[in-house]
Amino acid sequence: MEPVTVLGISGSPHRHGNTETLLDAFLDGSREAGGVVDKVILRDLEYALCRGCNACHKTGACVIEDALIPLYDRILATDVVALASPIYTMGITAEMKGFVDRAQYLWAQKYILKTRYYPGEHIRRHKGLFISTAGTGWENVFSSAFPIMTAFFDIVGFEYYDNVIAKDMDRWEGIRNHPTALSEAREKGRKAVGEILRLRGAAGPSPPGKPAQTR
Amino acid sequence: MPYKVLAFATSPRRHGNSETLLDWVLAGMAQEPDFATEKVALDEVTVNPCRGCNACEVLNRCVQRDDMDILHDKIVEADCMIFASPIYCLGICAEGKALIDRAQVFRSRKYVLKLPVVPPERKGKRLGIFISAAGQNWDTVFDGAIMSVKCFFHVTEIADTDILYLLVRGVDKAGEVETHPTAREEARATARKAVERIREMNR
Repeated sequence: MEPVTVLGISGSPHRHGNTETLLDAFLDGSREAGGVVDKVILRDLEYALCRGCNACHKTGACVIEDALIPLYDRILATDVVALASPIYTMGITAEMKGFVDRAQYLWAQKYILKTRYYPGEHIRRHKGLFISTAGTGWENVFSSAFPIMTAFFDIVGFEYYDNVIAKDMDRWEGIRNHPTALSEAREKGRKAVGEILRLRGAAGPSPPGKPAQTR
Repeated sequence: MPYKVLAFATSPRRHGNSETLLDWVLAGMAQEPDFATEKVALDEVTVNPCRGCNACEVLNRCVQRDDMDILHDKIVEADCMIFASPIYCLGICAEGKALIDRAQVFRSRKYVLKLPVVPPERKGKRLGIFISAAGQNWDTVFDGAIMSVKCFFHVTEIADTDILYLLVRGVDKAGEVETHPTAREEARATARKAVERIREMNR
């Protein structure tokens, strides 16, 4: 059986902080369950922001050819994708928002040109997770991030499967002092990979040509 | 001294729907002799994303040197700040988010260093306006954006009760807002209300 591929994408401007540490725990868990794991650091990529030119609404392609196009190709060929961003000013970081906005050409393919279509079985077998930490303990601190993730995973044909989130980092003085966050992240990594393996076992191997079917 | 209105057009698309709404509001305010308006298009300046280094919690300034150096002072001096953004993927555009995140220096000043962001006598005398245009017609399409914009206003000493909203749904194509049945009148009304409120606050 093909291994379950897991891609973590970190949108934090600083390395190895709370959010990336939480992502790492998730990826460790995924690896333990047999996932083939990789991590992309958005800060290390050169990419432009969406220009809002809407050219993709006609062509289905983005006019900007930079590091995000191969990254989106990779996402479409991956089983589990975890988008990790800390909360800055009640939202995801500008880096992560810049990355998400560039999915517009896939949105256009799906909703305007109707050349992109994800069958239910495809969506069930592709799990998307949002990983985040926030300094404050406010009840609604992740609320503006959730709809963005809902939109993103819908565009790339993933089930928005779960959140791995921990707030109150200022009070805990860092993710490593949080009593449960890292172990929960690890457990959710195991669970996501295990779930895909279970689905494959139940319904036979995934059809060839992993990327979303186009018609 | 006229009241200073500082407006940010954050969309990567110049003169699109959110900026057109902004222009209508600014035109309404600029008619008043006691108002001076200034528009900054983020497309034309450099505001890099926040690096999350938290140095501003100690330094009381940002370690990055870009156009935010100038905008910082304009933000402090403004009597009215307007933030205009389209909705991309149920949030403000990335350019706008970069500007908001760079307001971290104000947050550090206010909540960590406990220093004034504006002189005490100007607290409660600043108005914020959030202008946005979304392609979708969903009720909730602005909810995520509003949360971040509110933070931007809070850290720059503009309270929740001092924020006006001009939110137009269902406009996606360039120029579509021009044919919207009520948008232009709503923009005029927003300008009138803003002028009234600012005069009232500073009375």
